[in-house]
Formats: sequence, structure tokens, C-alpha cells
Amino acid sequence: MRNNLKVARIQANLTQQQLAEKVGVTRQTISLIEKGKYNPTLKLCLEICYALNKTLDEIFWVEKGEW
Amino acid sequence: MQKIKDERLLLKNLQNLRIAYMLQTIGIIGILGYDFITKGLDGMRKNPLWFVFILTTVVSAFLSMNISVEYESRKRSSKQSFLISLVVLTLISTIIGILTSFTEGFTAMNGVFIAGIVFLCGVVPISYVYYLRKKIDNQAD
Repeated sequence: MRNNLKVARIQANLTQQQLAEKVGVTRQTISLIEKGKYNPTLKLCLEICYALNKTLDEIFWVEKGEW
Repeated sequence: MQKIKDERLLLKNLQNLRIAYMLQTIGIIGILGYDFITKGLDGMRKNPLWFVFILTTVVSAFLSMNISVEYESRKRSSKQSFLISLVVLTLISTIIGILTSFTEGFTAMNGVFIAGIVFLCGVVPISYVYYLRKKIDNQAD
């Protein structure tokens, strides 16, 4: 599913590896989420939001029909 | 080896396990099939794999009740369905018991014994489904 994770991560000046370590997953998982090839659970979404200091809305919201 | 914490990898691990168990089951069925062809039904049932196969089938049936009970659209209350099932089961086991005791070579005691086994085998899943339905009823507001 499409999301704004890549933009938010670059804004926070973090590499995929750094973000992955912060939220406790592997780098590949972050990469797949950014590409929209893996749908994270709400818990992981929240962990990512806490790490990037953003809201769920800012990173994961997509309009109906866009995914 | 590190403990897996990544949710994606946990899911992948479960999918891998599913493939492994699928292959294992195919292997068990293959061995039992071979035994059935070469040694007949009795020979197959002597194989301890038969017990493993039956046990896993029963466990899988009980676990799938967990899922199917959430899908059903019920018209009756859990208690009503439980009582109806219990009455039907009692009737069926009584009929089987009576028929067994009237069969040549079987005593009345055999009939009671068979009816008891049928009743026990039926009452366990019925009670389990009742327990699951009750649990779902309690979860609803």
C-alpha cells in the first residue's frame, strides 16, 4: 500500500537501517513498507510514527481508491 | 540464533512452517497409502503414523471450529442449540445402542458400551462449540 514513509524518513535524516533499529525490525521490512509491498500492522505503524515524530495520518493516510 | 522480533519475518516463518507441515502430511499419507496397498487396512492401522494422522486431523477439526463458529449466522441462542444437539445425540446413540444389542453376536452390554462411546464422542465437540459460542456471545456488547 502506498505511503509517505520514505519522505518522512529522509526528512528525519535517518537511513533505512537506523529507522529499522529504532523500531526493532529488519532493514528489508522498512524497504518493503516504503515500496508499498508490505502492509505493516497498526502496532508497527505507530512505532514508526513515534520514531519519526509524525502522526499516522501524515505517513500512512491514503485516500479511498488510491491503494 | 537470534529470536525473531520482526513481524514480517514472524509471518514468513509461519508460512514456511505451513509448507513444512504440508509436506510432512503428504509424506504421512503416502506412507499410510503404501501400507494400505501392501498390508491392507489392518496393516495400515497398526502403523503408529495412523495414530499421529488421526490425532492431528481431530486437533485440526477442533481448531477450525474456532474459526467457523465466528462465521455462522445464528437464529437460536447458544443454550437452545446446545440442548437440541444434546437431544439429537442422545437419540442417535440410543438407536445405535439398541441396534447393536439386537445384532447377532452382541450382548446388551455391548450395546450400552457402543452407545456410551458414541455419546462421549459427540458430547465433546458439542460442548466445545457451546463454549466457543458462549465466549463470542460474551464478547459482544
